[in-house]
Amino acid sequence: MIMRRTFLPSLLLLLYGLLGTALPLSAHHASGPFYDSDKPIEIEGVVTRFVFRNPHAALFLDVTDESGETAEWQIELGAPVMLRRVGWTPDLLPVGMVVRVAGPSARAEGAKGLLGRKLTRADGSPILEGGRTQEPTPPR
Amino acid sequence: MNSHKTNGGHGLFSLKADTLVAQFATGLLVGLILVTGLPSDTASAQTESTDIPDLTGIWDGGTRARPINGENMPWEPSNFPVLNERALAYQQVWEEIIAPKYDCQPASSPAIQYDPYHMEVTQWPDRVLFRYEKDDQLRTVWLDGREPKATDFGVQGFSVGHYDGDALEVVTTHFVFDVAGFDDYNGIPSSSQKVVRERYWRDGDDLWITLTVEDPMFLREPASYTTRWIPARAGYKLASYDCDAESSRAMVKFFPSKYK
Repeated sequence: MIMRRTFLPSLLLLLYGLLGTALPLSAHHASGPFYDSDKPIEIEGVVTRFVFRNPHAALFLDVTDESGETAEWQIELGAPVMLRRVGWTPDLLPVGMVVRVAGPSARAEGAKGLLGRKLTRADGSPILEGGRTQEPTPPR
Repeated sequence: MNSHKTNGGHGLFSLKADTLVAQFATGLLVGLILVTGLPSDTASAQTESTDIPDLTGIWDGGTRARPINGENMPWEPSNFPVLNERALAYQQVWEEIIAPKYDCQPASSPAIQYDPYHMEVTQWPDRVLFRYEKDDQLRTVWLDGREPKATDFGVQGFSVGHYDGDALEVVTTHFVFDVAGFDDYNGIPSSSQKVVRERYWRDGDDLWITLTVEDPMFLREPASYTTRWIPARAGYKLASYDCDAESSRAMVKFFPSKYK
């Protein structure tokens, strides 16, 4: 398992996210008070728990850093009531699955968490094959 | 209004006697109504008329319909409320994690109308029902003239309404105090003095609302926004929200509070 702090510019992270499984917004609360978009992070880990409940799903990963220490990370995802519309189910991320997640890191000092903006399998392929991830917004 | 039919253009003398009697009675009744006005139970009869706007259906308030809510939406610089000193003081001590939504307390007006979820409108003769996918909320707008009692305070308040031409007008009072009751993105509370006025109308396939909030405890003047819903995709059914307290509060530990 790897853990990398990649302090990429937010725009680069956004473009990167568009190539993978960009996640619908939470729509429950502002992300700024909890996550720092100027400090994006990417982690890879093993799924230990996937809580698919409103107002926002939560993914828990065991992540091992360069020194070999393993710790649990918490990733906030979108609202299941919205995720279901784009193909997500409670079984999408089973325990033991290896995933990569990228997004803004938690603000609290020492916190092991991030807001999931992009989620892929370990090889970088999308979690949802060919599925749409966001409903289109018609021009108005 | 007068929809009775003649017999295929054969003229008055081809009508049967009973039809003539019925037409005479109908004409007399219409004449009486025109002269004396409608019967005394007009208020309840209004909603039985077919001449009211059709607001019924499942409506999509998500990103297909409008920008998502946030610090600058729907309260933009152009319509941001003018706060009094009490509201500004509340903002000073406000922290995101005090918002009761992190314990699954439902959103209320004026936020729930702008939350990016679906809602269903049902029109009954004496009431209009607004069922929100967000937080599993049901609001009842009474059309029968009833008034709130002192015990009718609640998160969604007490709503009365009437049809005004092509629109539905709603007035809601009796809200409980809510530290994030005006807007939780900007930390603006609302009091039991809050009054929310809503006007709903159809424009083509879309459902529109203009919503105005008064609250003399926190706002120097009324604040208002206008937005729309679009029809839900065919076959869409509202999903249960079933807010989970653990999930709702899961990220609170990521917030660097200034209070210990």
